[in-house]
Order: sequence, then structure tokens, then C-alpha cells
Amino acid sequence: MSDEKKTKLTKKDRRHAAVRYNFMACNIFNYESQMGPAVAWALAPALRKIYPNDDEYQMALENHFNYYNSTTVMSSLILGASLAMEERDGIGAKDAVQSLKTSLMGPLAGVGDTLVWVLWPTIMGSISGYMALQGNPLGAIVWFIANIIFWFVKLKMFDVGFTSGTKLITSLGERLNIFTESASIVGLSVVGALVATVVKISMPVVFQFGKVKLNLQTGVFDKIMPALLPALLTLLIYHLLGNKKWTPTRIILLVIAISLIGTFFGIFKA
Amino acid sequence: MSGINLIQDILIVILAAYMTIDQNGLVIMSWFPVIVGTITGIIMGDMTTALTIAGTFQLMMLGVAALGGASAPNYGLATIVGIFVAVRTGTGIKSAIAVGLPVGLLAIQLEVVARIIVNFLAHRMQTDVKNHDFKKMQHEAWWGPALFSLQTGLPAILIVFFGPDVVKFILHVVPSWVTDGLTVAGGMLPVVGVGMLLRYMPVKKFLSYIIVGFVLAAYLKVGVLGVALIGFAAAYWYFISESKKVKEAAITTNVPSDDEGDDYDE
Repeated sequence: MSDEKKTKLTKKDRRHAAVRYNFMACNIFNYESQMGPAVAWALAPALRKIYPNDDEYQMALENHFNYYNSTTVMSSLILGASLAMEERDGIGAKDAVQSLKTSLMGPLAGVGDTLVWVLWPTIMGSISGYMALQGNPLGAIVWFIANIIFWFVKLKMFDVGFTSGTKLITSLGERLNIFTESASIVGLSVVGALVATVVKISMPVVFQFGKVKLNLQTGVFDKIMPALLPALLTLLIYHLLGNKKWTPTRIILLVIAISLIGTFFGIFKA
Repeated sequence: MSGINLIQDILIVILAAYMTIDQNGLVIMSWFPVIVGTITGIIMGDMTTALTIAGTFQLMMLGVAALGGASAPNYGLATIVGIFVAVRTGTGIKSAIAVGLPVGLLAIQLEVVARIIVNFLAHRMQTDVKNHDFKKMQHEAWWGPALFSLQTGLPAILIVFFGPDVVKFILHVVPSWVTDGLTVAGGMLPVVGVGMLLRYMPVKKFLSYIIVGFVLAAYLKVGVLGVALIGFAAAYWYFISESKKVKEAAITTNVPSDDEGDDYDE
């Protein structure tokens, strides 16, 4: 019945939807439908053009209110593709859109989170963090500018999703997994370096045997291996995190407690 | 003098409130301590103190990511209030950690509360759609960012009002081993982010690369970017050889029509 007048979305309509999504993203985040409301809100003006009929519009919106969560870059790709499907097939595409979203949001979030939330902030954060400690804001400024550029990349991803649609995403298919693993390789080598450089713990306790003084840190631990204590502490925390009872917050409190007690007895030094 | 203080107070609250909206949406400054801290430094007019504090919290935060909608300590808010208190009272990094860390931890609870309230908002928006009040739904959505801004805006208001006095009092009463202990904790805390990252990533499969990264940094003193480049070299090799395996598997299963696979390798 919607054959008579098929509305084409203009480039401006698409850009508008992309901007709305990449602003609202997690700003209506809730535990039940997570990013769902933001998706519905972002696509609403574009969907209104596709569905002049109120009942169809309602059905389409309700569809997008369903549970949804993925990394925003990847979401731009997915939502661009879903919008293209709805423009082509109208409300008949409802179920296909829903299954496209639910089947892709997980795997794409795997790549997206690794790149956007793990690798990028870890590398930028450690470089700019050390620069800041030396009083140099350059790292922070570069990071800030890169994030602005990155925001426009997200808008571009929406267009890519819209024009190349499901074809592109499904052809990524099996390579997606390899790509995620490759990103993890970079990530894990960086994490290995972080253990040695960023985690700081030392026990400069001095023992005295007769006339011989022995500093526990420089005389024993450093002789065995550099960054021995950070490595051991990392191992301990990694195992604690495997236990459901040890939430990150509890572990932070534990670390603070150990530090306070250790400093009180002079085992650690600030 | 107090006029400038008032302007600073207002800007600090606005910055803190906007930070969460940005973190949830645009992700331009997000909650990354060095970026947020640089802006705070400009507001407070003391870049040296601000950068030291921001750098400290940035390293503490490495690896801490709110993945899949999980909550994590808010080191961004810790940076803002830490710098504010340190500059205003002239007490430096020790008071920044002593105030920032607890505030950042408490902010987790506020995030949980905000998300529960937003749950009601989501239901209201859906009811609007059911009633064909489409315009109303579009307007009500703005309560989302408004509520989330309170998550960091409210603590900032409290700190701006009471912070400096309370901090002066605390530093006066609390023995030095406590503030020293918190500084020690600041050095150790990056371990939590590192541990969370390890839990999230395929450690068992790629243990070798953690060891490579560790040895490069600990023994050979290679910087993070250098380690990342070596990691990238390994990742590139892995990607090429694994892709080839997938392709070969595809060729053995269906011999004809594999033209489309060719353009990916180069």
C-alpha cells in the first residue's frame, strides 16, 4: 500500500540522523533497553519521512525502542544500513531490521570496544599522561583534536552503512573475528608494557644484619627482575577480578587499604 | 578577587555537568583526565598544578573502560574536583588525590541512580509513541542528558561550596601517613584498570604478547608507542596469515566463484 509514494531520504536527512545519534548515544542509557531510546529518538525525523502513516510510524519507532547496545562508531554503520532497508522496503522490513541490529551489535561491539575504548585511550592516555606529568599539555591537545576528527568519521560511517548497506557488513563477516584478534594482539602488548611502567609499587624496607644493610627493593626484588612487584600485583588483581564478589570498586578499596596499612608501618614510601 | 572565584566556581560546575553528556555522546573530551584536566587548568589559571594532577589520574585510569554499559570509577570527575581543591587551597597533589579519589568512587553510585531514573523516562517515551504524541516523545528525550549531567554536576556543586574549607580542615586533622598512603595507592591503582583489561581480552590465547610487551618495557625501556608498533607488526602478520587460512578453507569447500575475496588482501 505504500507503493504509491516512496519517499527517498536526502543526504541531509541521513546526516541529520547521524548527528542526532552521535550526540544522544548513551544519554538516554538505561538498564532495560540500554541505547534503544536514543536510537528511536535519533532516527525519528528520518522515519517520519519514510512513514507518513501514523500507525506505521508508531510500529517502526516501537521496533527501535527495543534493547540495543553497541559501540557508537559501529552503531553508525548498523543504523545507516537499517535506515536504508526501511527506506527501500518500508514497514515490511521491520523484522529484518530488528534481526540485522541484534545479530550485528554484539560482534561489531567486540571490534569497536577493543579499538575505541581499549586501544585508543590506553595508548593516547599513557603518552599524554606522562607528558602532562612533565607539565606538557601537547598530548592532551592532540588527543582532543583527534577526537573531533573521529566524530566526523562516525558521521561518515553512517553514510557508508546507508549506501553499501548489509552487503559490506556481511562480507566483513568471518574476517571480523580475525580483525578483533589482531587488535587484541596490539592491545595486549601495550598492556604488558603498562604493567612494567605504570603500575608503581616498591618496598624500600632496609634490613640490618650486623653491619650489613639490605634494601628489600634494590637489593632483592630488583635483582630478581625489573618490575617484579607490579607483575605479581597484576597477577593477584587479575585472579581477584575472576571472582564475582570482587568488583572493581572493592578491589580499589582493597588497594587503598593495603597502601594505608603499608605506609603506616613504613613498608611503602610515598 | 571573589568575583573571579565565583566565575571559576560556575565554570567548574558547568564543566563537570557537561563532561558526562560528552562522555555519553560526542566523546570529544569525554572523561579522559588529561583533556578534562587541561580545561580545568585553564579555568583555574594554574596549568602546572593542573597537569600534574591530570597526568596522575590519567595513569590511574588507564585500562578503566565502561564496557558494555558497566560502571567504573569516575577519574574525570576526580580530576576536576581534585584540581579545583588543590589550586583553591594551594595544597597541591596530595589533597587532589585525597578528595578526588573518594568523589570519583562515589560517582559510580550516582550513575547507577541516574540510569534507573532514566528507565522511567524510556517508558514515558514509549507511552508517548503509543499515544501518537510523537512531538512530545522528541521533547521528553532531552531529560536524558539533563539527568545524566547531574551525575557529575551535583558532586561538583557540593565540592565547590564546601570543598576548600573541608579540605583545609581534613589536612589539618589527618596524620601525614594517610595522605602519603593515598599517594602510594595512586601509584598502585593503575593495576585495577590493567586487570580489567586483561579480563576483557583473550589473555590465554595471546599470553605471549603480554610477555613481549612487558620485557620490551621493563628490560629494554621501550616507550608505549614503540611497544604498540611492535604489537602492530605482530598483529599485521597475524591478520594476513589468518585471512589466508580462511580463504584457503573457502577455496577447498567451493572451488568456483571466489573472485570477490581477492580485493581484501592488498
